[in-house]
Amino acid sequence: MTSEARSPAFVADATVEVLGVSKWFGQKVAVSDVSCSFGPGVTGLLGPNGAGKTTLLRMLTGLILPSEGTVQVLGVEPRNRVEVYEKIGLVPEEDAVYGFLTAREFVTYAAKLSGVTDVAGEADRVLRAVEMTDAADRAISEYSKGMRQRTKVAAALIHNPQILVLDEPLNGTDPVQRAHLIRLFRELGSAGHTVIVSSHVLEEVQRMTDRVIAMVDGKLAAAGDVAAIRRAMTDIPYRVLIESDDSRGLATSLVGAEYVQGVRLSGDSIHIETRDLASLGTDIARVARDLDARITTFRPEDESLESVFRYLVRRR
Amino acid sequence: MSAIVTIVTMTFRQVLGVRRMIGLALLALAPAAIFLLSPGRIDPFVGVTIGLLFSVAVPVITLILASTVLGEERREGTLSFIVLRPIPRVSIAFAKLVAAVGSAFVLTGVGALAMAMVMGIRTDEFGYVVPFLVGSLVATLAYAGVFVPLGYVTERATIVGLAFVFIWESAVAGTIPGLAATSPWRIGFGALVGLAPDEFGAAVPDFALGTMQPGAGGAAVRVLVVIALALWLTTTILRKRDLA
Repeated sequence: MTSEARSPAFVADATVEVLGVSKWFGQKVAVSDVSCSFGPGVTGLLGPNGAGKTTLLRMLTGLILPSEGTVQVLGVEPRNRVEVYEKIGLVPEEDAVYGFLTAREFVTYAAKLSGVTDVAGEADRVLRAVEMTDAADRAISEYSKGMRQRTKVAAALIHNPQILVLDEPLNGTDPVQRAHLIRLFRELGSAGHTVIVSSHVLEEVQRMTDRVIAMVDGKLAAAGDVAAIRRAMTDIPYRVLIESDDSRGLATSLVGAEYVQGVRLSGDSIHIETRDLASLGTDIARVARDLDARITTFRPEDESLESVFRYLVRRR
Repeated sequence: MSAIVTIVTMTFRQVLGVRRMIGLALLALAPAAIFLLSPGRIDPFVGVTIGLLFSVAVPVITLILASTVLGEERREGTLSFIVLRPIPRVSIAFAKLVAAVGSAFVLTGVGALAMAMVMGIRTDEFGYVVPFLVGSLVATLAYAGVFVPLGYVTERATIVGLAFVFIWESAVAGTIPGLAATSPWRIGFGALVGLAPDEFGAAVPDFALGTMQPGAGGAAVRVLVVIALALWLTTTILRKRDLA
């Protein structure tokens, strides 16, 4: 067995392979020496904003050529390969939709370009799959961000691609839409499609898959199952932002808690460092009740995830 | 073939917005309106044709529409939607060129037709209709060949295009007779002069055609070369250039 085959960044039944890939734009290095592979099932590509996820995904689809290294999709370099594009679908991060079309017209356009034979039938199928049937005949320009995301997913699914590349597909979706899309991606993965989903939110990825490729600063930070990465992440504390009408009281009550490693008060905001997010979540409700305080915000700060990734990169 | 038709149809919908069309239609019809108000017969007809229709209206209309067909798709991110479908790049380039020419000729053709019709109404000579339509089509084709790839490679296509029209074509190609063939409107105008009644050709000043011989055959060869180069260049750009 080769070292690549043993590495958690690689899978045995790969449909997409990335070997020593780097990409730079002028002086800026967007992706640096990344090697990994993707196979049937859902793989999460995780990393903070600016980690190089989008650049990597665009290299997988051939939209961008690597400056170094190779990308192979179904055994060939994807750039300009019609036979690859018959089997790959992309949901780009940006709003790549025609606002003057309806969702039905948009997916119909995608179907015609993809050579789908039953255009109307397939358009109905994918619109149903993303729960856009009711709004399908309204102009996309009138849609919310979440509806536009689902429309892009429908267009990417129209030719039933073997490989589906999704760049932050849950951005802007509400919790119900998010749950539905996550279920859809899981079903596609279970049906044998290679589904590569990027996200900067670990919890989202965790709900979709056990297999994660984590990137930061253009480098591969970690790969493998989420639990292992999660354990690695608990080596350093989470940072949580809490906002309340009695921030000082809350901060005073929490400062002595066993799981709290640091408390910083800034106006009405409390920044807490903890290794035990669950205990903090449980206790904060009790403390707020005791103080008769109202909590308006409780969320892990983005920098927390980023710092964890940086930590993972340093450890490698 | 059906993918090409699909892209052409969608591009028409994309570029032919109502407000844009009204503005460009006014520009296309302005030369005919000005000629209508001008006293005299052949001299103002030739002057307005050269000074406004062929050297201003046709290039500006074609610049605005042709630079949009790929440029807007690239800027708005929808180009990746097309290039990731199983369609050869040359088909995408061809479809975009057809859409650029088609959308622009809707207006430049109407402008040319209006000009010829006004002349016909004033003189009972309707022999200008076909020459004007052919001339404007040839010029539109040639400009589209320049402006479609230009719209893709730069976000300042309008400024660069206007510089090409008003500096290169007017100031440079207009003063150096040997460079007339590098001017798209002159290629179209050459076809027009070759097909029009003789009295039109006799009134054309030297700077309009330079050393080019008027005639539809020569114009057809030149415009075919421009379109072939444009198709090759656009295909190459689509194949080689990253869509970051």
